Amino acid sequence: MTSPSDTRAATATAQEEVAHPQGFPAGSLPIGREITGRILPPLVALATVFVLWWALYLVFPRLLPGPLSTLHEAVRLLSEGTFLFHMYQSLRRVFVGSIVAMFFSVAVGIYMGTVVMGERFFQPLVVLGLTIPGLMWSLIAVMLFGINEIAPYFAVAVTIFPMLVINIWAGVKALDKELIDMSHVFHFSPWMKISQVIVPQLVPNIFAATRYGLGLAWKVVVVVEMFGTSNGVGYQVMKAYQIFNMEAVIAWTLTFVAAMILIEYGVINLVERRLTAWRPKVEVWRR
Amino acid sequence: MAQLLVKGAEKWFRREDGRPLKILDRLSFEAREGCVTVVVGPSGCGKSTLLNVIVGLEPLDRGELVFLNNARELPRRPLIGYVFQSPRLLPWKTVGENIALALKGAGVDQREREGRVHRYLELVGLKEFVNQYPLYLSGGQRQRAGLARALAIESDLVLMDEPFASVDELTARQLRQTTRHLCEQLHRTVLFVTHNLAEAAYMSDFVVALTERPACMAEYLANPLPSPRQWSPEIYGFAAELESKVTLKEEGDL
Ligand SMILES: Nc1ncnc2c1ncn2[C@@H]1O[C@H](COP(=O)(O)OP(=O)(O)OP(=O)(O)O)[C@@H](O)[C@H]1O
Ligand SMILES: [Mg+2]
Repeated sequence: MTSPSDTRAATATAQEEVAHPQGFPAGSLPIGREITGRILPPLVALATVFVLWWALYLVFPRLLPGPLSTLHEAVRLLSEGTFLFHMYQSLRRVFVGSIVAMFFSVAVGIYMGTVVMGERFFQPLVVLGLTIPGLMWSLIAVMLFGINEIAPYFAVAVTIFPMLVINIWAGVKALDKELIDMSHVFHFSPWMKISQVIVPQLVPNIFAATRYGLGLAWKVVVVVEMFGTSNGVGYQVMKAYQIFNMEAVIAWTLTFVAAMILIEYGVINLVERRLTAWRPKVEVWRR
Repeated sequence: MAQLLVKGAEKWFRREDGRPLKILDRLSFEAREGCVTVVVGPSGCGKSTLLNVIVGLEPLDRGELVFLNNARELPRRPLIGYVFQSPRLLPWKTVGENIALALKGAGVDQREREGRVHRYLELVGLKEFVNQYPLYLSGGQRQRAGLARALAIESDLVLMDEPFASVDELTARQLRQTTRHLCEQLHRTVLFVTHNLAEAAYMSDFVVALTERPACMAEYLANPLPSPRQWSPEIYGFAAELESKVTLKEEGDL
């Protein structure tokens, strides 16, 4: 028994196949299902947070600022000329620090996963690094480098490095031996083995590490900015705190979170989908 | 003329508890140039280990491997094509890219690669799937892509480890035919592992029969059937002859 909408969906898929003779999945659904399937769930999640906040505000009106007045403050910030400047400063620090950490952690992670001596050497260092709080690194970085751009880069890179390494090291240990043997049999060069066989298998780990790393990096950047720079979101939050303006503190936080969510959906998700186009979609709970 | 000599090969593995486990026991045979030599033996006797030793994935504990080209001994292990039991294609690369990478590893010029990819995909009947990812192919198609990759590097020697054991019988029959014809046509030296005696009878020019683990040579037979090979009742006759000489441990392996 097929309903008309099923038939339409089937026709649409057939047309897609004609439009893509190579048969790559086009990754797009009919527009109605696109909205219910992909856009609605995250919106519902955000709305839930908002509703909870509102409910709390109604119960304890003096404890925390209301969602509306905070939103108002956020809109005022956005219309201010300096907003983009501070946002840009913080985002730059997050990204430069993360990219440096990512670069080193991929190298060290692969080394640890493939060379026994590498694992023995780096494992205690990674465990040690995991236990040192980002706040410590922020203080140390500012004391070491003074008030300049090196301090936040250093603090971010050093704080998130151990977390990234753990992720990538775990991925390397789960590498498919059969494919590596295959690359050996067909005389792949070491560089071909890394770039064509090893790193593609680490893509899920690299994305998990990126998401985790960016979240952690922003927390470190804000701390450094509170006492180690004279611009950026952290600096603005500190200023708002000094005049006890809770609306501004939350508004700055919200705008930064919004920026990170935009990056997650606008960049990371797209790149990930692009890089995993070779994998047919899995539907575990079929409807 | 021989392409590969295996002389007194011995191989041990270490068990979980540390005791040694002998896999290959003074195994000697040759793979003739331009011929398909089929290695048959019971499951677990060490056939895959033998191929892994030849290709250099495992070291040999005693004995030697001699690679020859026109009766001259090669100084080092040459490039060897390998069709694995599972296709072992890189799933994030298209079929064409998978073959091109093997060609790059084999030192084939960038300009020549594309032509070769197309030529060999056409030979195995996968021409229109060059830009397809392996996970969107059927099992038999993937196995054919693996076959194209092993042949495309144009090595002197090609190893095949039960390449059709995991595809259904009808597809396997087609693939055997394709493979046998390609090997005859391209004059490749092939070492083909199987535990299917009918397959051995159809594919082989020579048959090396191994004993149970530790594997040593039980029989070395020349296939009396003519080449180019056709499916004919005589194949089952030769398979029956093989069966009388080889004892496979499991019943119903055929
Ligand atoms: N890395 C290893 N370490 C220890 N023992 C091994 C290892 N690899 C294989 N073996 C053992 O060596 C024996 C031969 O294995 P091999 O894979 O060569 O068998 P096979 O003849 O290819 O069998 P099949 O026909 O089932 O593929 C098996 O008993 C196996 O348990
Ligand atoms: Mg085997």
